[in-house]
Amino acid sequence: MSMWPFWQKRLETGLLTETPELERQHEQLRRSLKDAVNRHFAGSLAIRMVDAGSCNACEAECNALSNPYYALERLGVHFVASPRHADVMLLSGVITANMWPHVMDCYEQLPAPKWVIALGDCPIDLGVFDRTFAIRGPADEHLPVAHVIPGCPPEPVAIMQGLLDFMATALK
Amino acid sequence: MSRLIARFAVETTGQLTLLTRYEDHMEQVTLDPEDPVAVSIQPRHPAANWFERKAHDDFGIRFEGSPDSRPLVHHEHIAPNQHPMRRHFNADALAMLERPRSYPYEVVEGDTTYEIAVGPIHAGIIEPGHFHFSQAGEHILHQEVRHFYKYRAIEKMLAGKTLAAVWPIVGRISGHSSIAWQLALASVAEQAGASVSDGQRCGWALLLELERLAHHLTDLGFIPNDAGFGAALAWATALAEDTRRLLKTLTGHRFGFDALIQGWAPDHQAIRAYTRRLQDELRRFEDWILTVPSLWDRLDTTGKLKRQQAELYDVVGVVARASGVPLDVRTDLPLYQVMDFVPVTEVKGDVAARFKVRLREAQASLQLIDHLLDGADGTALMLPRTPADGDFEAQVESVLGELYFWVRLQGGVIERFYARDPSFINWQALPLMMPGNIIADFPLINKSCDLSYAGNDL
Repeated sequence: MSMWPFWQKRLETGLLTETPELERQHEQLRRSLKDAVNRHFAGSLAIRMVDAGSCNACEAECNALSNPYYALERLGVHFVASPRHADVMLLSGVITANMWPHVMDCYEQLPAPKWVIALGDCPIDLGVFDRTFAIRGPADEHLPVAHVIPGCPPEPVAIMQGLLDFMATALK
Repeated sequence: MSRLIARFAVETTGQLTLLTRYEDHMEQVTLDPEDPVAVSIQPRHPAANWFERKAHDDFGIRFEGSPDSRPLVHHEHIAPNQHPMRRHFNADALAMLERPRSYPYEVVEGDTTYEIAVGPIHAGIIEPGHFHFSQAGEHILHQEVRHFYKYRAIEKMLAGKTLAAVWPIVGRISGHSSIAWQLALASVAEQAGASVSDGQRCGWALLLELERLAHHLTDLGFIPNDAGFGAALAWATALAEDTRRLLKTLTGHRFGFDALIQGWAPDHQAIRAYTRRLQDELRRFEDWILTVPSLWDRLDTTGKLKRQQAELYDVVGVVARASGVPLDVRTDLPLYQVMDFVPVTEVKGDVAARFKVRLREAQASLQLIDHLLDGADGTALMLPRTPADGDFEAQVESVLGELYFWVRLQGGVIERFYARDPSFINWQALPLMMPGNIIADFPLINKSCDLSYAGNDL
């Protein structure tokens, strides 16, 4: 019984839509992203997200990519549970001294070919934070950073655009 | 017994003081800076454990009678005997060991027991932290929570800076609670001379409730999802996204970063449309979710924290309220008193109770926003040009619970910044919820508390 109201509402709602203008922009972005994933990663781009000392907003925005507005999984982009399943390490945060060995370990575990994408201002230039005795970032001092997605935090659409730009530039 | 809020040290030239904040009073003990020793309060307040171990790592304070003197913030590869919060410590980096020290975990040993180590990097998109389980088959015998992987040394980073200079940092210590952290700092600024109007206060409370909604809605999706009920995740995260978008419309930022200091626009039309729609959506969500028996089979009786345990561990926030402790900082504020604010409580202390508290708090926040909107003024906070010297405290009910600040201003700059995220207390009570549950329910229990790592680790 209890699922009836759900299906009723589900059918009423249909696909979640944006304003028509936003819709057109997003549709174009989605199509390009899907094409790029098809071309460069045989239809499936696997990302291992690693938080190396963020404020958690970057993680919240990555989680938002799975909500019905963005539904990133439908475009072939997957956040995976192990670095051994991943093509890309998506790195957020300032790289704390306590996370540093684990970040390096994680990178080692990615099978080649592999890429590091710095997500948000923190791994790029520490953002608003000062370097302290407990911080070892930015990321490019330790890892070959293939692409950066700036922002504090980058919004979901900016992350999608960033992944597209990564494939368009770093993988030429 | 008075509730323990925080225990931390402050060093000024030639003087080291240990402060212990209880709900109704503050205790101060002066320590010998050369050989600081204090008496542990862990026998009475088990949650003093992390405070005291942190005070040792930070300042080198030893606690007599402490049953646990393992390092907390300083992990295996950090060389011992470095106490970076001491005034004379000014190295650019902590000295590292080539061969890491070992960390003795709390484990249950026996012929048929084994250990499971989870993290610091977790399977999903989550902050880093470590959970160490002792198991008998599927059954959890014991869990140790080990954190501080995100330790950025925020307290030292902020020392010597003006309120204006620390503002962007404080609002980004724990991103999903940014408004709450900004509000605590605004309270410090106000005590130090900033003038705040009733309208501004009203508007900030509105933003705080929106932040609470964004977070609760996310959890209302993620908790059922961890019990394998993905449909709830789709619905609730879509509503959370609507909330983030409204925050963006009002403050120019999806998390409201810097909103209090930059000012914001109380767009009545957008806010009214949002609350009207969300009230309707949440009613529908409630009618539906409360009648899915397979879901409640997983949530009921899982991850129980008894009221007695919650009080012994000085627990705060949703976790406390779900165990029947009616603790909510908002109760003390005149702004909320005129709206007849009553904290939402449940009695069972299980995952189901925490889920219900979140659901009812989300509904309450929508009503609060409707009330607050009429008086809301989006004018930016003006920080005092020459802030008064002194020690200032602040408390804010963030979405996770009571956030506590202690800030010493001296000569226009911050001399000591101390903040205790609600998570710092609540993480220590998480292991109490484990015995009697199976390992597969751990993610569910953890998500029902949904604590911050970044705010905890600082």
